[in-house]
Amino acid sequence: MTSLTTTPGVATTPTGKTIRPRGPRVGRGVVTVLMSLYAVVAIGPLLLMVAGSLRTSADLFANPVGFEWPPTVSSYVFAWQQANFSRYFLNSIMVTVGSVVISTAVSVAAAYAIARSQSRLVQIIESVFLSGLMLPIHLAILPVFYLLDSLHLVDNLFGLTMVYAAAGIPFSIFVLTAFFRQLPYELEEASMIDGAGAFRRFWSVMVPLVRPAIATVAIFRFVPVWNDFLYPLVLIRSADRYPLPVGLTSFFGQYQTNWSALFAGLVIATIPLVLLFLLATKQIIAGLTAGMGK
Amino acid sequence: MNRRHLLATAGLGLAAGALSACAPSSSSPAPGGSGGTTLTVWSWRPEDKDAYATFFQKYQDSHPGITVAFQTFKNTEYPQVLTTGLTGSNGPDIAQVQAYGKLQPYVDGGNLLPLDGEIAGLDKIDKAALAGATGRKDGKTYGVPFAVQTIQMFYNKALFAKHNLTAPTTWDEFIAVNDALLAAKITPIAVGGKDAWTLPVVHEALGSAVYGGIPFRDEVVAGKTDFTDPRFVASVQVLTDLQKYLPANVVGVSYTEAQSLFLAGQAAMFPGGSFEFGFFTSQNADLELGVFQVPPAPGAASSTALTPGYADGSWAINQATAHRAEALELLTWMASPEYGQLFADALGQMSPIEGVAPSQPLVAEMAKNYAEHPSRYLLLTDFRWGSPLGTDVMGNKLQELFLGKINATGVAEGVQKGIATWFTPSK
Amino acid sequence: MVHAVQVVPPTRRRRALGAHLGLASALGFLAPALLIFGVFVLYPMVTAFSYSLFSWSGTARGGFAGLANFVSLFTQEPYATEVPRAFGHNLLIFVGTVIGQNTIGLALAHALHHTTRGRRLFQTLYAMPYLVSPVVIGYLWTLLLSPTFGPVNKVLEAIGLGQLAVPWLGNPDTALWVVVLVAVWQWIGFPVLLYGAALGGVPPELTEAASLDGAGGWRRFRHITLPLITPAITTVTVLGFIAAMESFALPYAIGGSSGTPAGATDVLSLVFYRTAFESGDSNGIGLSSALATCLFVFIFGVAVLATRLMRKREESLT
Repeated sequence: MTSLTTTPGVATTPTGKTIRPRGPRVGRGVVTVLMSLYAVVAIGPLLLMVAGSLRTSADLFANPVGFEWPPTVSSYVFAWQQANFSRYFLNSIMVTVGSVVISTAVSVAAAYAIARSQSRLVQIIESVFLSGLMLPIHLAILPVFYLLDSLHLVDNLFGLTMVYAAAGIPFSIFVLTAFFRQLPYELEEASMIDGAGAFRRFWSVMVPLVRPAIATVAIFRFVPVWNDFLYPLVLIRSADRYPLPVGLTSFFGQYQTNWSALFAGLVIATIPLVLLFLLATKQIIAGLTAGMGK
Repeated sequence: MNRRHLLATAGLGLAAGALSACAPSSSSPAPGGSGGTTLTVWSWRPEDKDAYATFFQKYQDSHPGITVAFQTFKNTEYPQVLTTGLTGSNGPDIAQVQAYGKLQPYVDGGNLLPLDGEIAGLDKIDKAALAGATGRKDGKTYGVPFAVQTIQMFYNKALFAKHNLTAPTTWDEFIAVNDALLAAKITPIAVGGKDAWTLPVVHEALGSAVYGGIPFRDEVVAGKTDFTDPRFVASVQVLTDLQKYLPANVVGVSYTEAQSLFLAGQAAMFPGGSFEFGFFTSQNADLELGVFQVPPAPGAASSTALTPGYADGSWAINQATAHRAEALELLTWMASPEYGQLFADALGQMSPIEGVAPSQPLVAEMAKNYAEHPSRYLLLTDFRWGSPLGTDVMGNKLQELFLGKINATGVAEGVQKGIATWFTPSK
Repeated sequence: MVHAVQVVPPTRRRRALGAHLGLASALGFLAPALLIFGVFVLYPMVTAFSYSLFSWSGTARGGFAGLANFVSLFTQEPYATEVPRAFGHNLLIFVGTVIGQNTIGLALAHALHHTTRGRRLFQTLYAMPYLVSPVVIGYLWTLLLSPTFGPVNKVLEAIGLGQLAVPWLGNPDTALWVVVLVAVWQWIGFPVLLYGAALGGVPPELTEAASLDGAGGWRRFRHITLPLITPAITTVTVLGFIAAMESFALPYAIGGSSGTPAGATDVLSLVFYRTAFESGDSNGIGLSSALATCLFVFIFGVAVLATRLMRKREESLT
C-alpha cells in the first residue's frame, strides 16, 4: 500500500483544508445518487442480517422479507447464553490486541532499519520479508501445529498470538518502510548533530512522524486476525479458549436451523470491529491522505 | 495519538499477550479423587454433548479415580483437529473415527491401537458394523463401532392424514402419494441438493431396491460387473423420474433448508439416515414422525423394498495414549450391552451391540426393517478406499444430473470412471 | 516492490549522505522481527514445502519421493481434473475482483474525491463489509440467496425481475460469479480508501490547466489523473492477485470444502484442504504439500514479474 504525499503547492484555504475541484451541478446530483445506491448495496445485506436477528425463526421461514413489529431480542439472549460469547470475546481481544501490538512494534523497528540502511545484507532481508506477503500461510498449518507442539504452545492463546504476530510482519513492514522512506533526512541529521544515538533518533524523531502509518497498519492487521477461523481450529482445543470466529462456527453447527439465533450470533461477532473502525476511521483516513506534507 | 498513548497501548498489548499465556487451563474437569486419571474423549457430535455427559458420569460413578473429559468439535472441522490431535502431544486418549475408507489414513499412519483380543465383547458386535472399523490392509480391528445407521423415508404422519394418505407399499401407491401432495401444493420430498453428500443417501433411499442391494454389491466388489451395469443406471434413472417431486432448483437448496422444510411442514417426506430421528424430534416435538421403505420401482432387481445400512463410525484408542489400560477399560465398557442400551435410549440411534433393543418405537421399526431387508450404503461401505471417494463422485454426478447436464448413464459412467482410478476387485 | 510515488522531484533522496544506520545498528533493529517471522512463519513454511518431497502414510512420513508427488498432482485422478479446474477458478476470481475493484472502486473513489458532504459517511459504509469475517459473509449470503427462504429472490420477484430469481448458488454457471461479486463487495473499502489517497496526491493545477485548455472530464481523467495513480493501481492489482490465488475463507463459507455445486466454486486452497484432511488417500500430506509449493512458486513468480514490469512503466511515465 503506497502512501502518496500531497505536494507543496496544493491550493489550500487559510485553515489548511485543501480545495477540491467540483464538477457541474447536474452531474454531481447523478453521482450522488449512484453513490448512495452503492451504499445501499454495501450495507443492505448487513441490515438484513440485523433485521433477521430481531425476528423469530418461525417468522423468518414464513416470511423471509418483511418485518414484524415489535422486534424481539430473544435471539440475542439465546445466542449470548448458549454460546458463551463473552468468553470468546475476551479471547479474541487478547489474541488480536496482543498480536497486532507485537507485530507492529517489531515491524516499525525493522522498517526503520530497512529504510535507513544501504547495506546489501539489509536489502536481502527486506526481500525475505516481502516474499512473506506471498506465502500462503494457511497452507502451512500442519508444520505450524507441530512447531507449536514442540514448544508446548498448543491450546495456548499465547502460541496463537505469536503465529498471528509473525504473519502480520510482512505487510506491516511493507507499509511502514514506504512511509519511512518518505521522511526527509534533515530531522535525523539535526538530532545526530545533537549527539543522539540510533535508538534515540528512532524513538524520539522517527516514530512520532509515522503515527498515521502505525494506526493504518494496526487496523489492517486487526481485522484479519480478529476474523480468522482456520488457525484457532487446529491450534486451540479447549472450548473456552476459542476466539470468536471458532465459537461462532460451532454455534452454527449446533443451531443450524435456528436462523434468528444465527443472525444474532453474526451481529454479535461483528459489532466490535464496526465500533473500532468507526473510532479509528479518522486516524486511517488522515494517515492515508495527509501524508507527511507538514 | 501521542507517544504516551502509543506506550500505553503497547503496554496493554504486552499485558494482553502475557495474560493469554497464563490463562488457566479450565478444560480440566472436576478432579476424580486424588491421583485420579483423566481420559480425554473426542467426538464430532456437539449435538449429543449432554447425553454423553450422562453416560460418562455413570462410568465415573462406578470407576472412582477415573474422570472422563469429553470434547466435541464441529463435524466439518473434526478431521483436521483429529489429525493434529493424534500426532501431537496433548491429544485424545479415545476418539471417534470415521468408518471404512476414511479410517485408513489413521491406520496407515500408525495412530491407532489394534484392539483384537484386548476388548471383550468385540465378538458380540454386528459383523457388518465391525467391517467399518477394520484396517483394510492388515485386517485388524481398530475401533468399537458406536452406531448403525439405516436409510429410509421419513414422513409426516399428520400431513399425510390431513390429505387422506397412508404410507405406500407399492410403487404406484408411492407415485400417487407424491401426485396428491404436489396437487396440494406441498413439496412431496425434501432434498438438499446443494450439499452433495446427501445425494448418494437419497439415491440409496429411492433406488437401492432397483439395483438390487447386497447381491449387486457382491458382484461389483468381485469384479463381475461395474457401475455401468443397467441395474445401477436404472436406479439413477429413478431419481430423474422423481425430480418433479423434489423442491424446485433442488441443487440450490441446502441440507439444513431441506430439514427446515420438513420440520416446518412444508414438505411431507424426507429421505435420510436414521440419525435424523434424534434431530427431528429435538427440533419439533410435535412432529408425528413415521418411516417407510420406498417400494421397488417397476423392473427393479429386488422384489422387496430394502433398507441400506452402514456403520457410522467407531471409538478408537490413540496409539500415543499415556493411559492405555484405563482407555481399554473404558472402551470395553463402551462395547458392552449396558452402554449400548444407554446410548440407544438417550440418542435414539441403533447400537451395533447384540442384545440392545431400541426403546423408541420408530427406531425399533427402522431396526426391524434393516434386520428383515438389509442392504448396504454401497458407496460408503465399499468404495471409499481411495481418492476420489465413491460418495464424492456420486454426489457431484448427481448434482449434474439434477441440473440436467448429464443423464443417468452419464452418472453411472462418471462414477465408474472415478472409482476405476484406484479400485481393484477383490475375490 | 512498489515504492511511494514521488510527485516531488527526487532531489530529496540524497544518497550521498548515505546510511545513517550502521550495519550493526540496522541488524539490531531487524532482529526481533526476523526472529519472530523466521520461527513462526519461515520455518513452518519451508517445512511444509519439504513435506512435498516425501511420500506419506497418513501422518507417518515415508521415504524420499523426489518429484513424484508433483507428477501425481498433474497426472493422477482426481487431482488431474481438480487442480487445473480450481486453478482456472482462482484466475477467474482474480480477473473478476481486479476488474471490479479497478472500475467500481476507482469510480467511487473519484466520486468521493469530488464530494465534501458526507464523505466520511460514504467511506465508512463502503468499508463496512470488509470488517465482517469472510465466514460470516459466506453464511450470510448463503442464507440471503437461498431459493426457498432467502429474501433476494423474493425481492427480485416483487420488483418484477422474476426471471432473475434463479438458484444462484445451486447453478454451477452462476455460483462462481456469486463468489466473485461477494468478494468485490467485501473488499471494495480497501481500493476506495487507497485510490482516495492517490487521487489526493494529484495536483489540481494540472487538471485545472487541462480543463482551461478545453479537455472534458473523461479526457482529464484518462491522460492526467490515471497515469499519476498508476502505482496505487499496481498495488491494488498485485495484492488482489495474491488474495485471489490464496482465496479460501469465502469459497469455503459459500460452497463448503468440496466447492459445491459440482465443483464450480472449487479453488486451490480448498483442494489443498480436502486432500490434506478429508481424502481417503494415505498420501494426502505429500500431495497437498506439493500443491502448496506449486502455488507459492506461481504467485511468487508472477508477482515479481508483474512488479518489475510495472516499475519499468512507472519510471517511463515520470
